[in-house]
Amino acid sequence: MSGLLAATVAAPSALDGGANVVAVGVLLAEFGMFRQALIRDQVRLYAAQSALISVLAVVVAASRHLPDLYALAGLSFALKAVIVPVVLTRLLRRIGLTGSDPRWSDIAGTGALSLASTVLVAIAVAAFGFFTTARFGVRSPVLPATALAISMAVVLVSFVLMIVRRDVISQAIGFLSLENGISLTSLVVAAGLPLILEVAFLFDLLVVAVVFGLLIRVHHGSAESMSTADITSLRG
Amino acid sequence: MSGGLPIPLVQCLQVVTIAGAAPGISGVISKVEARLQGRAGPRILQPYYDLGKLFRKEALAPRGSSWVFLAGPAVAMMCYLTVPLLIPVLTTFGLPLGYMGDILGGGFILSLASFVVALAALDTGSPYAQLGASRAKTFGAITEPVVLFVVFTVALVTGTDLPYALAATVRSSAGQIVRPAHLLAAAALFMVILYETGRIPVETHTGTNEFGMIEEARPFEHSGPYFALLKWGSAMKQLILYTILLNVFVAPWGLASTPDAGSVVLAIAALIGKAALLGVVVSVIDNSFAKLRLFKITEFVSAAFLLAVLGVFTLYLGGG
Repeated sequence: MSGLLAATVAAPSALDGGANVVAVGVLLAEFGMFRQALIRDQVRLYAAQSALISVLAVVVAASRHLPDLYALAGLSFALKAVIVPVVLTRLLRRIGLTGSDPRWSDIAGTGALSLASTVLVAIAVAAFGFFTTARFGVRSPVLPATALAISMAVVLVSFVLMIVRRDVISQAIGFLSLENGISLTSLVVAAGLPLILEVAFLFDLLVVAVVFGLLIRVHHGSAESMSTADITSLRG
Repeated sequence: MSGGLPIPLVQCLQVVTIAGAAPGISGVISKVEARLQGRAGPRILQPYYDLGKLFRKEALAPRGSSWVFLAGPAVAMMCYLTVPLLIPVLTTFGLPLGYMGDILGGGFILSLASFVVALAALDTGSPYAQLGASRAKTFGAITEPVVLFVVFTVALVTGTDLPYALAATVRSSAGQIVRPAHLLAAAALFMVILYETGRIPVETHTGTNEFGMIEEARPFEHSGPYFALLKWGSAMKQLILYTILLNVFVAPWGLASTPDAGSVVLAIAALIGKAALLGVVVSVIDNSFAKLRLFKITEFVSAAFLLAVLGVFTLYLGGG
């Protein structure tokens, strides 16, 4: 660390810098999910985060001449930024969760910690992800190591989201954005992964979204609320 | 270098530009804000008339207040006149007094100004002035780490924390602008500036609701020339912070590279133009967001802290 502080950090190339900025955007979207107060906005933020990952895939495809990635970016955009959010919103609307009634669409204040404390905890967790990834020494031919560290941070921060928020929506979105973090990791370490594998993962995600939608409906039907805190009363 | 203005004159011009243009920038912001709300709004020169009127009025001090109450505005003004010597206001090259202090030094002087204003407010015994002073110090303590992390980012990028060095680095290549550390630090600094200048989402700038006030409540008991000094001082603080953001982080272009009279005049015009443009952005933000509840301000600051810390993190792996 002292060696780091003594020397200046040279700027990455404009391309690497731009890719890192997009990756940081993905991480910031993850942090933004702590702040969202409405189900609708939470789903939209997830869609925006997924769109950023597709943008990054296009950047990698264009700069490293990997035509497969264009197909992957298009498919991932269609599924994660359009279809999954639409499916989730439809399922939630059918039980009246996303209407204008604030009783059902409001997920603010379901955190176990205050927002500022949550952000501090998440910063600490993200720091852990950053600095452990640096120790791996993984070097990727397509994206800078920083993007890998950021993807680890996204995965860990989405765990914080799932742990801290008590409403089922945030927990489902946390799980889905965890997958976004993993997509980011796979872009960095295995951009040349066979397309068929990636597509299989994406369709799994669609199944996950439907299953979550059903679980949310079942939970809402039995507990008449979205909070998992109500489930604890079932213990004998 | 020959044939230009004498260097000490350029040095003085930095201070004169900030002091002279500051009320005008406040005027531009309130004009744009009013136009966005569909009002005609005050003249852009209105703050100058206000200051002129206040300087002609008599000064009253509350019973029982001490010399601290009267010294506060003057000391604060001296601080605001010192800081423009340290930052690149007009020139790309460092002026002789520019190396007296780094970014932290400038930050300390700005904090000193805010501290003496808070002391003067406490000395009045007026509950609202004291409330403002207490809040300003409380929230000042939580924005301080953000500023420190921004300085760390600057230090990691340039190997020094002189504002001139960062401005030169930003100008050097496009890669320096799109690097995440630079963007994150600039965004964090912008959020701190919104807080420091008392703008939405932290504070309503022009309101009469005392309960929401932070910075605005402090000069409640001052009057006449003392109040004028405080108002002028806070306008100068705003322009100083804008200058730091613009000439060091976001747009260090249009500065004079020689002490040539023409390029210095051009630099003055460029600074005022850039600051007015930033003022327009700030007034759009003012009109698009609601004021945060007092206890939600920590959330705003935690977002700024997040940006600043991520800036340092990305530098750690060499990708920032």
